[in-house]
Amino acid sequence: MSSETKKDILINILKDIQRNYGYLPEEKIRKLSKKLDIPVTDIYSTATFYSMLNAEKKGKNIVRICNSPSCYLKGSLDILKETKKILNIDVGEITKGGKFSLELTSCIGCCDKAPAIMINEELTTDVTKGMLKKLLK
Amino acid sequence: MRILEKTDREAWRRAHELGPQKTIELLKERGLTGRGGACFLTGLKWEITRNTPADEKILICNADEGEPGTFKDKLILEENSETLIEGILIAAYCINAKHAYIYLRGEYHYLREKLKQTIKQLLKDVVSDLNIEIVEGAGSYICGDETAIISSIQNKRGYPHFKPPYPPSHGLFSKPTVINNVETLTNVPLAIIHEDWSDEFRLFSISGDVLKPGVHEFKIGTSLGQIAALVQAKNAKAVYFGASGGLIPFVPNFKVSQDHVCKEEAMLGACSLIFVSKNRSVLDLAINIAQFFTHESCGKCTPCREGNVHTLKLLEKIKEKKATEKDLLLLEKLSKMIRDTSLCGLGQSCTNHILTAMKHFPDDFR
Repeated sequence: MSSETKKDILINILKDIQRNYGYLPEEKIRKLSKKLDIPVTDIYSTATFYSMLNAEKKGKNIVRICNSPSCYLKGSLDILKETKKILNIDVGEITKGGKFSLELTSCIGCCDKAPAIMINEELTTDVTKGMLKKLLK
Repeated sequence: MRILEKTDREAWRRAHELGPQKTIELLKERGLTGRGGACFLTGLKWEITRNTPADEKILICNADEGEPGTFKDKLILEENSETLIEGILIAAYCINAKHAYIYLRGEYHYLREKLKQTIKQLLKDVVSDLNIEIVEGAGSYICGDETAIISSIQNKRGYPHFKPPYPPSHGLFSKPTVINNVETLTNVPLAIIHEDWSDEFRLFSISGDVLKPGVHEFKIGTSLGQIAALVQAKNAKAVYFGASGGLIPFVPNFKVSQDHVCKEEAMLGACSLIFVSKNRSVLDLAINIAQFFTHESCGKCTPCREGNVHTLKLLEKIKEKKATEKDLLLLEKLSKMIRDTSLCGLGQSCTNHILTAMKHFPDDFR
């Protein structure tokens, strides 16, 4: 492959950083900027576009509840309500002590096993309210 | 399901016997069309790319199925990645690409390691020096659009671009690029080795108010009643085609094909059927889907970015019983305006669900 087209894939690198730190710390972005010769602003521009990349610190574990039509029809809002109750936070918030963040997400491709949720990068399907306490320990 | 059949590299060997041009001709004869929704002849796409003069050609496998209700590519990635990789090898051989990317949706991260192993094995088996790189998406619906994938791999925000130029002449890093999705590429080896292979068979992702959701293979033209019986959809009221395809009322003898769905002003797309039963209000679904598009609009062009916010507001107003006749007219007008003036496929289709729901179920909006 020619040098013109051989490039480091930013999105892959950012995800690796996030796997280590839970989010994208500014000092790591600055280091990366020098290494790849991409302006810091450009890296942030890319990073903030994607809902699974976090430019700001979040909870240690990110709980994403799918609310796409198939999950909605199978009771995703009940799952959301119960999760809010267990974690005692609203969507977009972090629990006291920083263990969990709660978010709604677009389709995660588990429509045949709805409702589904994602904790960090792990998918859990056919979720019932009863399963949540154990999942959110 | 034929799509899960292993070919033991027989298609690769056959493609090598035929050579690139004849393999392309064979695929054109077989009539293989893209499974992403546009139904473009795959062989023709490859031929254009192959014939565009350039020092380098690139292949991208779109494994970023993000349309709500779609999970068929996941089944292939889970259960038959070797036929997919064989399809990638054949495609790269035919267009003369030395580099291929698999744009894997972030939600399918758990499939990455297995996919890497399959790639390693296949490259060894067929002694190929093709460089296949996996790029993981990071949660963006628009990155299923081919021009947005290009932006994403080029380290930019996943913005779509105006076409033309089309990727086969001007794609990734401005090089001629073929972008095919997982189902299309997995069909390549099968279409090459089976004389009775038919483009009429599609994978359908079926979910919603059904007792047996899942991926099924149906012939185009199968009736909704037959599908409903198989997946046990009881008391069906309507069927959505993903979120962007809009809906049609459930009519048992309705034949599911691009043309028939199109006549109803909806779009079959990637054959994702979400059944909705009679006890539902499509207004609630409209709010749910409008929330989805408001979140997933990339923000590049105004009609989609601003329009979706306002259609959602109007739908919520209707739900609160505060809407006037004028609001309903405004919702329809705004939905058409977004459809007619947005830049990409997302914007042009994001209000199909509102327009088709208002047309077929006006009482739900009163």
